[in-house]
Amino acid sequence: MTIEPIQLDKAVLLKVTGRMDAESAPDFEQACERWITQGVHNLIADLSGLQYVSSMGLRSFLSVAQRLKAQSGSLVLCGLQGLPRQVFEMTKLIGLFPVYQSSDEAIGKL
Amino acid sequence: MTDPPLRRLTLPASLESLQAFLDFAHAGAEAAGLTAEDRDRLDLVLEELLVNIARYAYHPGTGDVEMAYMVEPAGKLRLEISDKGSIFNPLEKEGPDLSSTLEDRAIGGLGIFLVRELVDSLTYRRENDRNLVSFRFPSTEPPPG
Repeated sequence: MTIEPIQLDKAVLLKVTGRMDAESAPDFEQACERWITQGVHNLIADLSGLQYVSSMGLRSFLSVAQRLKAQSGSLVLCGLQGLPRQVFEMTKLIGLFPVYQSSDEAIGKL
Repeated sequence: MTDPPLRRLTLPASLESLQAFLDFAHAGAEAAGLTAEDRDRLDLVLEELLVNIARYAYHPGTGDVEMAYMVEPAGKLRLEISDKGSIFNPLEKEGPDLSSTLEDRAIGGLGIFLVRELVDSLTYRRENDRNLVSFRFPSTEPPPG
């Protein structure tokens, strides 16, 4: 899994590519934590390149979103497709995040 | 007619063994003619079960986990995962509350839920001090969602 951050005016966009499994999920959480500690309250995760996510990855998304929400911020998801989308839908997590088709759309809604 | 052969792999119950188990199962997935999408779903099921065993079965000690699979004639895999750890029946585990808000949503409990959604004929038995979890994959139900 790779995480590529892009700093925007009002948020940081994290492009997540590859497989988010038990081994790599903590890396995503730590990457988000670093931005949050620097005062960033809005994160956008571009998941168009995410191929796989397990429950450990879901935990990371949930934990980051809860932390941001407590600071009146949010974790926005975009580009969800394939197995990751299916997993977010099955667990009904999809309704708990702002979700957009593309990163452009997510950035436009900021 | 003889039964299709059963393949087995035994490794320490740890996160380090996960990839070797997935590679082992991929040979079965290929033999069964599974699609790439189904193979990822199988990885998910196996990761959830194996991570659970690695974390809890022998805690705080260590032990082994065995995976066995058989390719069934209908292009499905029959899999069994077993360990000699503490009793854990995934069928008895209470499902997560999927209706709560973001603030109240519990962080854990989703892994076994996903397993139950993605496989068929999930069974559990305790035999000779072993947990034996078996299931058929892929599920005949179309994947939800």
